[in-house]
Amino acid sequence: MLTFSTSAIANWLVSLLSSASIVKQAEGLAAYAIGVAILIMAFAYFLGWIERKIIAKVQARHGPTVVGKYGLLQNLADFMKLLAKSNFFPKSSDKLLFAVALPAMLALSIFLILLLPLTPSTGIGNMANGLLIVFALFAFMPLLIFINGIASGNKFGEISAQRSVIMMMSYEIPMLIVIASIGMLARSYDLVNIVESQAHIWYIFLMPLGFFVFFVAMLAELERSPFDLREADSELIAGWLTDVSAPYYTLALFLDYTKMFLGSLIVVILFFGGWSGYGLLPVFWLVVKALIFAIFVMLLRATAVRMKLDRLLRLGWLALMPLALINLIVAYLLFVM
Amino acid sequence: MTTKINIGPIHPSTHGVLRLVVELDGDTIVGVEPHIGFLHRGVEKLAENRMYMQNIGYMEKIDYVAPMAYDDAYVAAVEEAMGVEVKERAKYIRTILLELQRIASHLLWLGTMSNDLGQFYTLFMWTFRDRDKILRLLQEHAGARMFYLNMRPGGVVRDLPPDFEENTLQVLDYIEKRITEYEHYLESNQVFIERTKGIGVLSREMAIELGATGPVLRGSGVNYDTRSNKPYYAYSELGFRPQVMFVGDSFARYKVRMLEMKESIRIIREAFKKIPEGDAVGMPIRLIMPQAKNRIVTVSRETPRGEAFIYMIADKERPYRLSIRTPSFINLSLIDEIAKGSRLADLFAILGSLDLVMADVDL
Repeated sequence: MLTFSTSAIANWLVSLLSSASIVKQAEGLAAYAIGVAILIMAFAYFLGWIERKIIAKVQARHGPTVVGKYGLLQNLADFMKLLAKSNFFPKSSDKLLFAVALPAMLALSIFLILLLPLTPSTGIGNMANGLLIVFALFAFMPLLIFINGIASGNKFGEISAQRSVIMMMSYEIPMLIVIASIGMLARSYDLVNIVESQAHIWYIFLMPLGFFVFFVAMLAELERSPFDLREADSELIAGWLTDVSAPYYTLALFLDYTKMFLGSLIVVILFFGGWSGYGLLPVFWLVVKALIFAIFVMLLRATAVRMKLDRLLRLGWLALMPLALINLIVAYLLFVM
Repeated sequence: MTTKINIGPIHPSTHGVLRLVVELDGDTIVGVEPHIGFLHRGVEKLAENRMYMQNIGYMEKIDYVAPMAYDDAYVAAVEEAMGVEVKERAKYIRTILLELQRIASHLLWLGTMSNDLGQFYTLFMWTFRDRDKILRLLQEHAGARMFYLNMRPGGVVRDLPPDFEENTLQVLDYIEKRITEYEHYLESNQVFIERTKGIGVLSREMAIELGATGPVLRGSGVNYDTRSNKPYYAYSELGFRPQVMFVGDSFARYKVRMLEMKESIRIIREAFKKIPEGDAVGMPIRLIMPQAKNRIVTVSRETPRGEAFIYMIADKERPYRLSIRTPSFINLSLIDEIAKGSRLADLFAILGSLDLVMADVDL
């Protein structure tokens, strides 16, 4: 499968380079990338505000109210404050890896959003195996967390890094099995095809079990409660972010919400019919659905109790894996055969 | 191969300045060594240089979560040294206030414990809101929210305000409802059950041998509560029943405290029915006035964290020697015994279930 995709990329690059309008194409790409970057920033910023507000409401507080109307500028103020602080790498850290890992994660998640088709005709990688490429790259995320944790030279970071790898073992395989069943239903790994094949009925209604497995795995991937074991604040202080100082921490916060946007987009594209909706711009529906999903995840964060690592492993292998397999078989028997 | 990690003195879950050196084999705890003393203020020594009435303010700061408990324990020691009887109405007032203080303390504990388990401050905020209602009641009586200074030898600083009973009963109804709700939320949460049941088991024998006190001891199945074993104030008239669970794990300790809150609510309601009329005001604050005979006094009181034991060699105007056995210190010393063999993540469930206040440990 991957050879197909690499050849697709190669073909695309060759066509890009050989075409006469190379500059024009590059301009188009750059404009698209900038547009998406603005969308990501706006979404991440708004998500940060909305998370504060929602969790505050659950906890019978008001949340930010002072800076800007309804506290809308509070995050900007915090962002400025953090940027104004000095950066610091601990003596025991591997400075190169420590400096690179977080920006690499941010770049990776932005790149992944660029790969996703936000409307029927956009998305950089309109290629046959888009879904596989997205998840192949997505699997780098826990690895980069591992690198950051180890490179920080902090024992809490080290424990967090170990947890990251063990967590990956528990949820990655069930997630990939669900992805396989989606590819089976859509008869394609092209993300545009997957969305279009949901025109009549969303996959969440065809595969509720698969959605459940994917949802749990996605929560673990996004480090959201109750699976926020890597940066468990009451146990590991901040896990792999313990020794990260202020400017990098802004990156980490931004990364958190970018990943949230990415995860919500993937879930919406795979299970909630992507951009399908009535009237308005397709990208509007996509973002609204992603927002609803993100709010649901936030409500979980406000209420859930953190799971233990060994319990998560058991959940992954003894519950999610069989469920994912059952989902695959049932989907095959009902809809493919 | 084992690794050692330092948890604290600055860490979100140690509730103050506790430093734990944890020896880990992978994710399993091999040993826990508590290092204390970061909050030592020398209360015992300070007390030797001050008149009897000056010391109350210092005693309150021993346990800033339940200040009135120590306030009361110290005043009781002074009363015994001076040979003063507590007025009948004051006995009931003290019982009511102390039980209110216990509910407030346990509510705070419930919030912080759920926080230790990785709950994102939600229950914490809710219990703080409920606790605040109690603090307001105590403020009506004493004039302060945290450090009340309302115990006087022989009674309390002033009688209860006129609408105190009505307000208290209202707040108790509200809190009883809320506690039942929290219990329902937590016990129907599978993850909470898994993280507390069977974690940090302290057997009955070890609990007695290591000298555990309070809810920790009663969670291990020992029916010992100072309020019923050495009854003071109005507890025996109110039919107080100690709450005991038999498993000895974190869940049992949690459950004991939940049951204790309900028992406290019952006792306060009972006390309002039986409270006699009359005078309740104790001695006014005058530095020279309390004069004690030179004798040895021992007092034990059930604070929300366990049995606080005061040993005082009384002098004429000031204590010659004051020694306090604080429950948090004893309960902290259990940590190595009960955390051994569990996972790193469990350590915080165990710490939370012990309900430590570092000021109480370091004195």
